[in-house]
Amino acid sequence: MVKLNKNQNFSLYFKYALRDLTRSYNKILSIIITLFISLFILSSIMTIEDSLENELNENAKLLLGGDIEIDYNNREGDQTKIDKITKFATVSQMVEFSTMISTVNKKINKTSFTRVKSVDQFYPLYGNAFYEPNDALEKLNQIESSILVNENIFKNLNLKINDIVKVQDKEFKVIGIVKVLPDIGGAFVFGDFALTGKKTLDKLDLNTLGSFLNYEYKVKFNKSVNSKEGIKRVESLFKDQNRVRLRYPENSAGGIRRIVDNFSQFLSLVSISAMLIAGIGIANTLLSFINQKNSSIAVQKAIGVFSGNIKTIYYLQLAILLVLITVFSYGLSFFLIPIVDKYISDGLGLNIEASFSFLNLIIVFLVGMLVMIIFSIPTVNSIDQVKASNLFRNVFQSLQFNYSVKSVIISIVLLIILISLFAIRSSIPFYSVAYFVSFFICLLIFYYLSVTIIYLLKKYKNSKISVKIAVKNITQSKSITPITIMSLGLGMTLLLTLTFVGSNFKREISKSIPEIAPDYFFLGIQNDQREKFEKMIFNSDNKSKIEVVPMVSAGLVKINGIDPNSYIKNTNDSYWVIMNDRRISWSDEIPKDNPLTQGSWWDLSSPDKLQISLDSKVAQDFGVKIGDIFTLNIYGREIDGEVVNFRLVDYRDLSINFAMLLNPQFANKIPHEYLSTVKFNNIDKFDGINFLDEFPSVSIVKISDYLKKVTDVLNKVFIAVIIISTVTVIIGLVVISSAIIVQGKIKTFQNLVFKILGFSKKEIIYSSLIEFIITFFSIILFSTIFSIVSSKFIIENIFQLKWLFEFDIFLNVTITVGLVTMILIVFTNLKYLSPKVYPLVRNE
Amino acid sequence: MNLNYNTDNNLINVLQDVSFEVDYKETISVVGESGSGKTSLIMLIGGLEKASSGKIEFKDFEISSLKEDEISEIRRKDIGIVFQSCYLIPNYTAIENVSLALEINKIKDPINKAKEILDKFGLGNRLNNLPSQLSGGEQQRVAIARSIVMKPELILADEPTGNLDSENSELISNILFDYVKEENASLIMVTHDNKLANLSKRIIKIKDGKIE
Ligand SMILES: Nc1ncnc2c1ncn2[C@@H]1O[C@H](COP(=O)(O)OP(=O)(O)O)[C@@H](O)[C@H]1O
Ligand SMILES: [Mg+2]
Repeated sequence: MVKLNKNQNFSLYFKYALRDLTRSYNKILSIIITLFISLFILSSIMTIEDSLENELNENAKLLLGGDIEIDYNNREGDQTKIDKITKFATVSQMVEFSTMISTVNKKINKTSFTRVKSVDQFYPLYGNAFYEPNDALEKLNQIESSILVNENIFKNLNLKINDIVKVQDKEFKVIGIVKVLPDIGGAFVFGDFALTGKKTLDKLDLNTLGSFLNYEYKVKFNKSVNSKEGIKRVESLFKDQNRVRLRYPENSAGGIRRIVDNFSQFLSLVSISAMLIAGIGIANTLLSFINQKNSSIAVQKAIGVFSGNIKTIYYLQLAILLVLITVFSYGLSFFLIPIVDKYISDGLGLNIEASFSFLNLIIVFLVGMLVMIIFSIPTVNSIDQVKASNLFRNVFQSLQFNYSVKSVIISIVLLIILISLFAIRSSIPFYSVAYFVSFFICLLIFYYLSVTIIYLLKKYKNSKISVKIAVKNITQSKSITPITIMSLGLGMTLLLTLTFVGSNFKREISKSIPEIAPDYFFLGIQNDQREKFEKMIFNSDNKSKIEVVPMVSAGLVKINGIDPNSYIKNTNDSYWVIMNDRRISWSDEIPKDNPLTQGSWWDLSSPDKLQISLDSKVAQDFGVKIGDIFTLNIYGREIDGEVVNFRLVDYRDLSINFAMLLNPQFANKIPHEYLSTVKFNNIDKFDGINFLDEFPSVSIVKISDYLKKVTDVLNKVFIAVIIISTVTVIIGLVVISSAIIVQGKIKTFQNLVFKILGFSKKEIIYSSLIEFIITFFSIILFSTIFSIVSSKFIIENIFQLKWLFEFDIFLNVTITVGLVTMILIVFTNLKYLSPKVYPLVRNE
Repeated sequence: MNLNYNTDNNLINVLQDVSFEVDYKETISVVGESGSGKTSLIMLIGGLEKASSGKIEFKDFEISSLKEDEISEIRRKDIGIVFQSCYLIPNYTAIENVSLALEINKIKDPINKAKEILDKFGLGNRLNNLPSQLSGGEQQRVAIARSIVMKPELILADEPTGNLDSENSELISNILFDYVKEENASLIMVTHDNKLANLSKRIIKIKDGKIE
């Protein structure tokens, strides 16, 4: 028996692979381009996500403002305890409250809802704040009644340095502008803010600030104390203190973290779609590449090289390409970081830096490898079809995709690995899996669409010659119709879906929500002000709708006796409920738009027991059941209450919605204030300045201002999403143009025959237009149907908003892509339009 | 042995009851009309086609019963094949085409050995040219260099001079017959050229798939 020596010298095959690649890389340029684009997108997303997360982790102390934070809620801290801490740490005391800032002595006075931080000389413990002028912070604690405002307030209120503004009924001098604060956690992310010195607190009537007042003590341990030990010492000091909450660096910026997480998950899905579309092109280009190598492969076989070894050479070429492209695209993604940094630092004040992650590099490589293998198996396997005996006959049959049972199984297994790779990394694996499933369903449908079109057109008879040629082009056996329809169809579906989702979302936020939402929120109305308040609103516009509800601030500190922070992660959708104190309310009746989903309304027979009504989504996220016991911390007192029902809460109408409601029989005994929403019949009748003269401590939030900020942020997100999803269309176009080039020889020959038969160039161009119209319109038809179904599902079921078909946006997208595709197709075909006659004669 | 092709429900008997032996050092020419089955015969012996029935033995191996890779293994060391069109790998230079055969057999110093043989064939100054930069005769010499560089015991040639002018034909036939003599190898060659056929020890004539 002959001894088989299959594992021949690996380095030899590597050498052949390298030689082949360096000499014919231009034949697989489209593989290189599409692979590069899609891996670059994936790398960028991962690098950006990583840098953001690093920033959040590394700067966790910065964002928190200390090694640990002691939150005394709305009461001043216990000075003896704070003194004990100052023995081993620096403590910076800070009071935060929400209030109105208004201009005085201007032609038109304006007001602004502001979160004010009053700080001492130690602020900030970590990081740097940036001001204008530079010494503004120092002056803050020297000059009495001075204030620093952020840039937005400065602009909106038309302020100048040294202008006077009013906070409550006291006057303050604006001595500078705050540009960036290091501790941006919490309300400071999107809202307006201002800084004052500690002394100003004595001037203001803090008691009237109610639940919007917060005393915080940020602690930075002395160098000799390590932070674990320091944290333990602080913890032991506050062991039995109910009204105190300790906050740790790792809990800072939970909200941003979740947004970053979800957003990058979503974008990775888009980028993997781009990869899969690129895969279609890879399979096609590779097949033509191997077809061109048909005789070389036959020669290798004739000399005695094993089929398996020849395949190894081709896989090696792909592997070399992949390694190079992975490293290159991963490296290149670092150059995006400064741009992204600029983009987000405006809004978030975060400064991100690129950092190398070996794991990410491996993931990018792995994803590329999986896609590459899945799409190249049937192609490379076709090498088995090449026969050395062809060399005797001088004929080379063109190769077909070779699907053996084994290769199909391998492809499916690899595909499952690929999907799991994404599903595992995402916070909601179900969405990722659902995304992939619908992607492959679309792929199948587009494939069968092309089969159907070819089938129908074969039966179609038309005597017009250009139509005949077009039909022939679409139906011929080597036609690019299936590839065109699949790659462009998938890209279009994705692009249209995301544009529909984006435009519906924007419309709802900027038009529909303001229609139903109230115009103003009034915060911090004291018990004795309620009647006067209602009267004043009524006097300014007697047709206004006023809703006033009691409100108290409470922390959810235990669920069934266990601290929820110990098992609910900050990536949980409902983490906000336990992150800080929540404002809660009570009500006799079930709120109109909050239907009960489970349990029953208040049990009136036990008015002395605290009963809680919970948002059903929160219940689901936390795994809470009816009858569970919540421990609420209200003004430092811990009270146990039973969860008696779940409500479906819809926060989108921006009216008064609470995650938790209490039974009024119990809650009315708790000292509380009021929160009010007002929808004016005529919004111009309300004069904020006038109102603040009467109620200096009440804060006014104008919903339209708030919505404008949200829309601004959404716009940025929308643009980013559209740019990234356009990539899928671009890859689809590269795939199509490479398919045309692959088909080029047939095209040249065909056009040559036409020319000999006496067709004019015009007729040939005309026929390729007809071809384009037939394929493109069927693509549009189907991708529109898919994107309508999917965007409607997303908007109505995930965001629970109203979905409308936006015809003008649909037209814009399809016409743009259509034009680009047409130009591309005509340009790529132009190359084959003027064939020389002599090659045919010479039988070349 | 027999060889049939089944095409469109038509059984074509290409070779029928063909049987002969080749001794060591023997040179054989196969002649016959076009379509008579000469090429098919060569392909069967080289293991590039499977016989429908019968046996083909080469040294101790029964080629007709071996798997594809096992035949490859034999071919790479012991059988050299020369085609009518001189199939070279288009993006390999002359020397790379030749050294390919040496390298897959793990022969040491393939480049120098390839150079040696190409020098001998008068191609010393064309080593780094691509096939497209060589004339037909030069290409055929490179192809032959590639098939004999491993010093195979059997050379199969299918009309090796079919595409060449008489001058180049003579050059090629000299190379082949010299090699057979020097290395004590056997040669089975299909040819239309009577002069060439007469150079070999034995002539086998095939007509309609049978030996005459
Ligand atoms: N793959 C095939 N299928 C069907 N018939 C074939 C095939 N290959 C060769 N033939 C037929 O076999 C016969 C012998 O061909 P061949 O060996 O090439 O002849 P020769 O080399 O003597 O000209 C021819 O009639 C040819 O048509
Ligand atoms: Mg022949």
